[in-house]
Amino acid sequence: MVNTYYPGNLEEALEIRNQHHPIPLMGGTDLMVKYRSWAGSLPEFPGPVMYINHLKELQGISKNAGSVYIGAGTTLSEIEKSRIVPLLLREAVEEMAAPALRNLGTLAGNIGNASPAGDAVCALVVLDASVKLESIHGGKRVVKVEDFITGPGKTELKNNELITWIIIPQKEVSFVNYRKVGTRKANALSKLSLCSDVKIKNGIIDDIRIAVGAVGPTVVRSRIIEERIIGNRVEELSKKIRAIIEDYSVIIVPIDDQRSTSAYRKQVALNLIQQFLGRIGKEEYID
Amino acid sequence: MSKIHFTLNGKEMEVDVHPSKRLLDVLRDTLAQTSVKEGCGEGECGACSVLKDGLLVNSCMVPMAAVEGTEITSLEGYRNTDKGKCLIEAFADTGAVQCGFCTPGMVMAAEALLSENPAPDEKEIRRGLSGNLCRCTGYDMIIKGVMLAAERGKGLW
Amino acid sequence: MTKNISDSVRRVDAVEKAGGYAEYLSDLSFEGLLYGRLVRAEINRGYIKQIHLPDLPPEYFFISKDDIPEGGINSIHMIKMDWPVFVDREILFYGQTIGMVVGPDKAEILDIINGISIEYEETEAAFTIEEGLSLKGGPIHEENNIYADYHLDKGDVDTAFASAERILQDEIETGFQEHIYMEPQGMVGYIENGKPAITASCQCPFYLRKAGAPAINRKPEDIIVRQAITGGAFGGKEHFPDVIAAPLLVALEKIRKPIQIVFDRKEDISFTPKRHPSKVYFKTAIDDNGNILGMDIDAAINAGAFESCSPIVLQRVIFSLNSVYDIPNVRIHGRAVATNTFPSDAFRGFGAPQGIFAGEMHMSHAAMEMGLDEVDLKRKYFIKQWGNTVTNGKIHGTVKLPEMWEKIAEDSEYYRKNANFGRGNLSAVGTAFYLHGGGFTGNGEQAIINAHVKLRKTADNKVEILLSNVEMGQGLQTTFRKIAAQVLDLPYEDVIYDNPDTSKVPDSGPTVASRSIVVVGKLVERAAEKLKKIWNIDGEQEAEVVYKHPEGYAWDQETMQGDAYPSYSWGICAVEVEVDPITYEVETKNIWAIHDIGKAIDETIVQGQVNGGVIQALGYGSLEKLELKNGRFYQNTLADYMIPTTMDFPAMKSDLVENPYEYGPFGAKGLGELVFDGAAAAYADAVEKAIGKQVKKIPVTPEYIMELMRHE
Repeated sequence: MVNTYYPGNLEEALEIRNQHHPIPLMGGTDLMVKYRSWAGSLPEFPGPVMYINHLKELQGISKNAGSVYIGAGTTLSEIEKSRIVPLLLREAVEEMAAPALRNLGTLAGNIGNASPAGDAVCALVVLDASVKLESIHGGKRVVKVEDFITGPGKTELKNNELITWIIIPQKEVSFVNYRKVGTRKANALSKLSLCSDVKIKNGIIDDIRIAVGAVGPTVVRSRIIEERIIGNRVEELSKKIRAIIEDYSVIIVPIDDQRSTSAYRKQVALNLIQQFLGRIGKEEYID
Repeated sequence: MSKIHFTLNGKEMEVDVHPSKRLLDVLRDTLAQTSVKEGCGEGECGACSVLKDGLLVNSCMVPMAAVEGTEITSLEGYRNTDKGKCLIEAFADTGAVQCGFCTPGMVMAAEALLSENPAPDEKEIRRGLSGNLCRCTGYDMIIKGVMLAAERGKGLW
Repeated sequence: MTKNISDSVRRVDAVEKAGGYAEYLSDLSFEGLLYGRLVRAEINRGYIKQIHLPDLPPEYFFISKDDIPEGGINSIHMIKMDWPVFVDREILFYGQTIGMVVGPDKAEILDIINGISIEYEETEAAFTIEEGLSLKGGPIHEENNIYADYHLDKGDVDTAFASAERILQDEIETGFQEHIYMEPQGMVGYIENGKPAITASCQCPFYLRKAGAPAINRKPEDIIVRQAITGGAFGGKEHFPDVIAAPLLVALEKIRKPIQIVFDRKEDISFTPKRHPSKVYFKTAIDDNGNILGMDIDAAINAGAFESCSPIVLQRVIFSLNSVYDIPNVRIHGRAVATNTFPSDAFRGFGAPQGIFAGEMHMSHAAMEMGLDEVDLKRKYFIKQWGNTVTNGKIHGTVKLPEMWEKIAEDSEYYRKNANFGRGNLSAVGTAFYLHGGGFTGNGEQAIINAHVKLRKTADNKVEILLSNVEMGQGLQTTFRKIAAQVLDLPYEDVIYDNPDTSKVPDSGPTVASRSIVVVGKLVERAAEKLKKIWNIDGEQEAEVVYKHPEGYAWDQETMQGDAYPSYSWGICAVEVEVDPITYEVETKNIWAIHDIGKAIDETIVQGQVNGGVIQALGYGSLEKLELKNGRFYQNTLADYMIPTTMDFPAMKSDLVENPYEYGPFGAKGLGELVFDGAAAAYADAVEKAIGKQVKKIPVTPEYIMELMRHE
């Protein structure tokens, strides 16, 4: 039987993590399913496990110096209901799974699990969010979510580190656009999702951020294409949409799996980007 | 942690189980709470729904370690409350029950919904119950059951 | 009569279930319970060369073909005896039962199973209808892979085709569907008074006895089967529990202690039967005046590696291909094809949904090709009373389809909303018309089942219903009580009807084929009338009745000619959809349904069946994609196999028309399957109109819609 740890505080948790490298377990919504065994018997974790969901140091949502801080142990429900969490993330979280699961699941767990179909991760990538990683003796680093997740189930997390906070820089945007295409209308996993926002200033696209989830091993976002869009006058954008879609068509290379097909994912992702770009200049927004 | 402490339906409990054991198994096998059903064991169907500190959770996803110091409510406790009786009666009166395997979880999900929103409309009920699968009813009568309970139970929630 | 039997009462099991008091199979406790887990074949086809077992700790057992007692036969007695209890040497499908590990601790059992290694010789397997027909990998069943090969002829097809102006061709396909009863498969075996007994989540207690008896060399009467409260079944607990019961009985005879087998969900989706996939080819002769002259139809179903009940499913498929239409000249060829997939089996509708889907879509396509409104074409061919069926039988009852359609057309505003029909304006109302024959096909009720029902008046003036049909969610506990109570003028609370126990009840047949109310309910009514005549306030009395086939209905099983079913129930479903051109997702805006089930025994229960059946069928038509990947079901969890949630479909508007049937209790006919038969076609039809392209298969997924919309 594998070892199990239940630290009393974060310091203790970091000590244990440093010494025994257990799998950190937050809400359990991924790991309890992934390693489930026959009803009535223990989950078959591949190594020692450390429960950290209860740690007080990892709870809460706050705003400070232009950023929103979300504790690793904060549940998806708490995020969904928070007024200070950026709208795009709230919209993404609201459509994840179902109420009971959102009462357990955490954002940090979602990031750590690094599922290509993780809707929250897609929103975090668009929001330029970072994770704060801590280790013993005050060890800290902050890594962009986009860089932190390196592939399906793969992250930059070192075996002595824990995700402690998610940091989201606040940014003024003209409008946000979140669209999940799930396997059904609720309690569904994503076939793909589009997270995007745009800032328009004096009729010119001041900033734009577009990310597509579940169409590749990690969230797809291209700063290069975004740079090409930035600086255009809103009314001129329509002429360029076709070229932009062609650019995205090169980098969106999804796979076939049990939930959808490569062809569908790609076509719908491009349709959704096109639809979003088409909304710019038509939607009402604060310039 | 050798023993886990929590309250079940208001009663203090101390159980000597592995912290990775699922709350679902402890409720069913150790504490005889057989209203809590296993429909999938992967958090998709909601048949194992219970309340943890008043919030709806899938007990198949909750390791006992996460139960330490919490309040758990199962249908075995909830059915004896005024709210519980109101919901059960309303489900019976609207035809919300067929094979019944999903029903205990549905009742708990309805409680979680009504405690947050005592007068939900159809859309809100559909959203509140969206994590609880039923294969018999097509849901219409379950939704009517929740509406009837909300109407009859004015002031309860 | 004190009141109208259709008036709703509170279901007798509602509070027990909603309050969580009801104990299902896995809730029951047994002293010294052991657990059993099946060891399954890990290849699709081939042979076992050798099984290497780890050392078994005391109290643990590996049960296999070698444990079949002397005189026992390694075969499950279903309709045939082709399905072995345990693999002998040859494996015909992935997941076939090789053995069972039994013991007191689940973790230990899993360790033992992980320690078992099996050497196989793998051979080429066939998974699709085409692969089965082309004998890929060599024959699986006899020399041609055909379990059943049927031909039907009505009128003169050759002459009709000779005079045709045009011949339309069409190919319609349906996929696998998984039942997803919320309670997975489960049963417990134990020894009682020295003899084996089983308590099971099941539809057919007497089937289990019969299925397992040959393996343990006992008479069926020596085995007791008790039904546990059953958490949904939909056909999935009709024959398949036999496949668990037989190895369980073998283990029980050896170990002689209580043994429980309960499937996990993933195990249940991966290793239980599915609805038969189907492929139907139509050739239809038409003239230039909007007439259908004849149809030549070829239908095949994927039956999987053993026969199970596939020939009878195939009968329903081919009998349903013209469903509510009286086409003058029809030839139908139907085949049930053996493949190396998990054997397909019963699922609500039993072949009718596949046949009706194909027939409805083809009629719509024909109308499209002929430039007609589909409903105008369909109405022209509505079968009438005394009209001819495809088996050259007659429709004996009145057909109320025209007035039912008027109601649906009005409620759905079909004509106004479809004014843009065919233009692909992204929203439309689709419809389907359907019928379902109540009870067993052909002479099954009299020749095979011969149901018995007994009513007993107790000393305290209550009445006990003794029969073998089960409550599985459909409301039988309430409706049977109501029937007896109404005849005997008792409160229905004074009628007792316990879950059946084969040692106590007569065999009234299985809980299948929409026969419970129309056939068995009639027997309850007759037994109650009989009891009423001998009713004496003092003491106990009994009344027993036996099935009597209604007079004037002839059937020849050899030629499959005549009245395939004495009674038909009828339905129309309409669905309004809107297709999103960006994501190809479909929003269902409205659902309407109307049914003729003779007479409702309880309106609320009937509405519950309608709601549930229609939503289940909409899942079949839109969401429930189940693919095979190397012979294994690909979507094998509830995260990937999508059944409808509360959010997928809106509330439904549903009506009934009364049309009493002489041989049904209070005029009632079959209901449970009828309500599944049409909604998938109505949905596909709506999408087809909305996008202006012909839909040829279900589920109609957004991926498929994209394909249709983007390609000419």
